[in-house]
Amino acid sequence: MFRCVPLAAGLVLFACSITAQAQQKQTIGAPPEASNMKLVGTNDLQARSAYQPTIHRQGDRWIAYIGHHGGTDDVPAPVNPMTGQAEPNGTSIVDVTDPARPKYLRHLPGQEGKYESGGAQMVRVCDGKSLPKGDPNAVYMLRTFGSEAHEIWNVADPANPVLVTRIGGLKDTHKSWWECDTGIAFLVSGAPDWRTRRMTQIYDLGDPAHPQKIRDFGLPGQEPGSTGAVPTELHGPISTGPDGNRVFFGYGTNKGGILQIVDRDKLLNGPKEPTPDNLRYPEISRMPMSAFNGAHTTFPMLDMPVAEFAEDKDGKTRDIVMIVDEAILNECGEARQMVWFADVTTETRPMMISSYTVPEAGGQFCQRGGRFGSHSSNESMAPVYYKKMAFIAFFNAGVRALDIRDPYHPKEVGYFIPAITQATDKRCIPVEGGERCKVAIQTNNVETDDRGYIYIVDRANTGLHILELTGPARAAAGLPRN
Amino acid sequence: MRRGAAIATMAIALGVSGVGAYRLAPAPAVESAGWREVAWPFPRDGWPAGRAFRCDGACAGTELYVRAKRGFCNCDRGVADDDEVDRVADIDLISPRFAAVAPGEEVGLGEMRGRARRYDLDTADGVRHAAIGIAVSRRCDLFVAAAQGRGEAGAVQRAALAFLETPEMKVWATAALDGK
Repeated sequence: MFRCVPLAAGLVLFACSITAQAQQKQTIGAPPEASNMKLVGTNDLQARSAYQPTIHRQGDRWIAYIGHHGGTDDVPAPVNPMTGQAEPNGTSIVDVTDPARPKYLRHLPGQEGKYESGGAQMVRVCDGKSLPKGDPNAVYMLRTFGSEAHEIWNVADPANPVLVTRIGGLKDTHKSWWECDTGIAFLVSGAPDWRTRRMTQIYDLGDPAHPQKIRDFGLPGQEPGSTGAVPTELHGPISTGPDGNRVFFGYGTNKGGILQIVDRDKLLNGPKEPTPDNLRYPEISRMPMSAFNGAHTTFPMLDMPVAEFAEDKDGKTRDIVMIVDEAILNECGEARQMVWFADVTTETRPMMISSYTVPEAGGQFCQRGGRFGSHSSNESMAPVYYKKMAFIAFFNAGVRALDIRDPYHPKEVGYFIPAITQATDKRCIPVEGGERCKVAIQTNNVETDDRGYIYIVDRANTGLHILELTGPARAAAGLPRN
Repeated sequence: MRRGAAIATMAIALGVSGVGAYRLAPAPAVESAGWREVAWPFPRDGWPAGRAFRCDGACAGTELYVRAKRGFCNCDRGVADDDEVDRVADIDLISPRFAAVAPGEEVGLGEMRGRARRYDLDTADGVRHAAIGIAVSRRCDLFVAAAQGRGEAGAVQRAALAFLETPEMKVWATAALDGK
């Protein structure tokens, strides 16, 4: 009897360790891991490392524009099977009208270079008819060209884009914002004379063929000629347009994040010379985050009714900003990067009210390989999900669906971790005398369309996955049963 | 009997914690060129603490702070310009008010390449100090050093670079960049 107990315990331990191993390692051919989210369709994106997807309705078609990082050490410029040519990663243009059968239309090459140093990571799209002075027959795609330029292309025929204009001479670029009704663009740039790699250049792109520079903007200490400590670099802004009159700037990646709330009118029409006083003038407030966390995405959700506060005399609705950090290091080599919710109802006193992270133990994500932690959220403000559901790209933990109707208590209601494929690239960490590599999904970005489809793209070359909500997550979003 | 067991348990616990304390203790100070290790003097920030040294020899009064910063975006270009040194070299830990006195220069530490730059520090005691910032990269990681002293900035830089080139420091830098 007593001899059997250790034997049984040993078997249980062995079984547990096998299960844990199985959970840790993704294998080609294994099914995706999912809860309340279902795969609808995929495209391999020519095995290019993907950054930002933007889904745009063009007439009766739905087109996905997907920005790419540069190539890899092993494949600096993958071959485009449509041309037979090796092309530096740029922008993938995919017809997703039928999400079950995405059709790859065109690869538009970007800047030569590897990883963060090349490609064309960012993309935004506006219709010519919505811009003040756009060609009403045109559809304009704003994209970065590696670190050196911003470009606007006419993608009215998405399979045959035509270059309209180029704003070059930069030392870096990143996640810009473009107001389609006014044409005002907040371009994340590296102006050569600024002390930071990334700041804001504001342009009037209302007539995309004739960009008009409005001003440069950043945190005091970043401007040309300043001395002393240099504040954290910009990651990306999101504007609420002339009606909301606010721009929310996120600074930092995985450290020293700052949420800055800016008066848009003062920013556009105030004194423009980049002096410390002029840079401070439009700022309403800023909220420094922990040194452990950055601010990749600062997504505003203003005037949110909070059910818990419905009977309160004041504060029934709250202005919320969802802040998403970006994990950088593989295999948990840094502090956890996650999602934060700030109540900015009293704008001069923003306060962090809640947070969300994927439980590491739920999938032994620190051992799976690659990055584990958040990177970005969807940025669509279409009614289908806005202020109800948020989707967070969480690298090797895939995409996570959050019910955010009570932002004081965000709740995960679904997730999807795609299966790896032959194209999925390795992720390595230094070990004694060399490096050790693992292969895992690296869900980098997520976006939604007005129909409710969810698009996730992979940094490790696994391509595009189009998803939909199912079960309780679908009900939480108020979508009809599928 | 019970008392004896308790004493034995305590002795074992003390022994274990003693071993733990020994293992957790910082690496022994590097005795080279008059530098001795002192406690890291800065409050916790986004990067793990590094190591600090004070020079007792020819560069008496000079202090040197070194650490690895893992996760740096310019994987290909490395430390590309002087602005990068201003941003990453930890000069702001010594004082947020500093001004470069001249363009920087290219430097190397072992196989790592980067830049060094000289600064004037405006410190709380009102005394101006010379300082240098050094930033070198290995792929997507940085190794940075900041030094301050009352001597001439060029002499501070030479002393700091000579110390960083010692085998002990190169081994430690490699380990720190490996996350150890």
